[in-house]
Amino acid sequence: MIRRISACTLALTLCFASLHAEDAKEIVRKANDLLRGIHSYAEITMTIVKPEWSRAISMKSWSLEPDYALVYITDPARDKGTVTLKRKNEVWNWLPSIQRVIKIPPSMMLQSWMGSDFTNDDLVRQSSIVEDYTHTILGEETYEGNRCWRVQLVPKPEAGVVWGKILMWISKGTYLELKTEYYDEDGKLAKTFLGSNIRTFDGRLLPAHWEMIPVNKSGEKTVLEYRQLKFSVNLDDGFFSEENMRRVR
Amino acid sequence: MTNPVRNGDIVRASPAESPAVFYLRLAWRNIWRNKRRSLLLITSVVVAVFIAIIFSSLQFGQDEYMVRVTVGFYEGHLQIHGRDYWEKRSFDQSMEMSGAELDSICSLSMVEKAAPRLETISLASHRTATKIASIVGIDPYRENELTGLRKRMIAGSYLDSGSTGAVVSQGLARLLDVAVGDSVVLYGQGYQGETAAAIVPVQGILQYPLPEFNNSMIYLSLGYARRLYSATGRLTSVALLLKDARELDAATALIRTKVNGNKEVMTWKEMMPELVQGIELNDGGTYLMLLILYVVIGFGIFGTVMMMTVERTREFGILISVGLKRWRLIFITVIESILVSSVGLVAGVIISIPPVYYFYLHPFRLGGDYAKAMLAYGFEPIVPLSISPIVFTIQGLSVFALGVLSSLYPLVVIHSLRPVRAMRG
Repeated sequence: MIRRISACTLALTLCFASLHAEDAKEIVRKANDLLRGIHSYAEITMTIVKPEWSRAISMKSWSLEPDYALVYITDPARDKGTVTLKRKNEVWNWLPSIQRVIKIPPSMMLQSWMGSDFTNDDLVRQSSIVEDYTHTILGEETYEGNRCWRVQLVPKPEAGVVWGKILMWISKGTYLELKTEYYDEDGKLAKTFLGSNIRTFDGRLLPAHWEMIPVNKSGEKTVLEYRQLKFSVNLDDGFFSEENMRRVR
Repeated sequence: MTNPVRNGDIVRASPAESPAVFYLRLAWRNIWRNKRRSLLLITSVVVAVFIAIIFSSLQFGQDEYMVRVTVGFYEGHLQIHGRDYWEKRSFDQSMEMSGAELDSICSLSMVEKAAPRLETISLASHRTATKIASIVGIDPYRENELTGLRKRMIAGSYLDSGSTGAVVSQGLARLLDVAVGDSVVLYGQGYQGETAAAIVPVQGILQYPLPEFNNSMIYLSLGYARRLYSATGRLTSVALLLKDARELDAATALIRTKVNGNKEVMTWKEMMPELVQGIELNDGGTYLMLLILYVVIGFGIFGTVMMMTVERTREFGILISVGLKRWRLIFITVIESILVSSVGLVAGVIISIPPVYYFYLHPFRLGGDYAKAMLAYGFEPIVPLSISPIVFTIQGLSVFALGVLSSLYPLVVIHSLRPVRAMRG
């Protein structure tokens, strides 16, 4: 899902409406392409909700798909200026309080990122919901007033994917991923993604409110609120450098 | 027994004597009628009890020492955690424990030592090297009391309660290329998702014989660790050492009633199932040896009883032919063997106490590589004997049971005895 945070650029015109019934893979590709692209800039507030506490982190995020992303924390004050940089498979953190850059070792990649339900690995994972899965349309349903396709994604045998299967509710016509259920290898629901509060960002219709709800931890979730999302930014890979981690504001 | 003086009965010394005392007196006389025979049987029971006790005391002693060595290394006999901490290992399951609550647990008579800790995992970094480290915030005095941390120091100075430096294990220091006087960057996550990052001077290096400890441990003072991880007043665990490991269950139950709120109390058996398995494996071999010992002891006693029965066949034949009821004779014989076994049991336990106690106080010293390894772990290479009462009761009663079981043989003989043939010999 961090991929989504950092990958919210649009590909150019993709939606040449087909007169034919679209196949499942095409639907997933279009929904996915809404969230990824070449350049993007976002302002996001992430709220980590735990049974006994919650914590909001505001950040700015730049990304250059598919390899680069940079996240700058603006709030809370104690963490302000902390930068996470992703370059290909590697993640670095800049810690202004001690003026140091730390590379996250591979063994820490599955640890939580900033205390959220996302891991460092979520930042860099290369698996693709388009290429690594076999897609089937299970039917059409109305979800919160939107006509949706219900699409099942089963990982291809050779894909290094942790999920047993994924179910997606994708709105017809607008290709918005409104709800996704992630099932583990035993077929049990592990976490649910919900997208709501649809609005226009830089000419694109997208959900502004995202929730990731782990199933086995009651009272816990991570919420992302997109305050701004721009696709018309120009970034090159020089922006995603160790030096820039210290300069970026 | 309503009319004890009857035709065919043995005449009692006085009509006032109760039947039980009467049979006991008869059995007692029978035993002393042939002193050498009885002493032989008593001796065989004594030797059996003695050997079984020494053997078992050695086994229990080894187990107890192994547990003591292992729990004293880090974990303690018991630990108090916030609920689910052991499974989830996150600050979300850390607990608040006031000084008064900790003191009330330390002051329990079963508790010898207690060490409060704030444990977590963080990145430790120096120049280009970054490693995962186990960070433990400790009360330096109490921790040293429990695990003897200070004697593992090989450079620099040990922590005190106000320290803002780190004591790093030698293997980790080597991986990070730090020495006393350098600084390490610690970077991790504090309580409630706060970022924890600090540059901490290395004030000491300590060495563990176990690589998994030696390559990963960083100790901080509890106060500093709480500030770094935004965990004011919190602990992840309290390790407890008991005065007597045998009181584990009682102590666990008692401490459960003493702790406030949402906490769990876990024993070393729950925390270190691999140690339980190790002991079971070790015990498996010993039980097999004990079984063989019992077979040898059993046949020793049985042989003696059989020999005595053969010797007494003529006597039994005469008694039955003059009209003694078989069941009365059986009754007397059973009392005889219980008496003999009891004397052997008591004597065996008594004579085994001094050597067991002596070797409990002055344990055997080991030599060779095994001894070197144990010394490296910071423990005396000794094999202490156990003075646990269970050693004496279980082994004593087992041998006693073997003795009584052997008396079934004369019982069978008497039951099927043909007096005429028996008297002819």
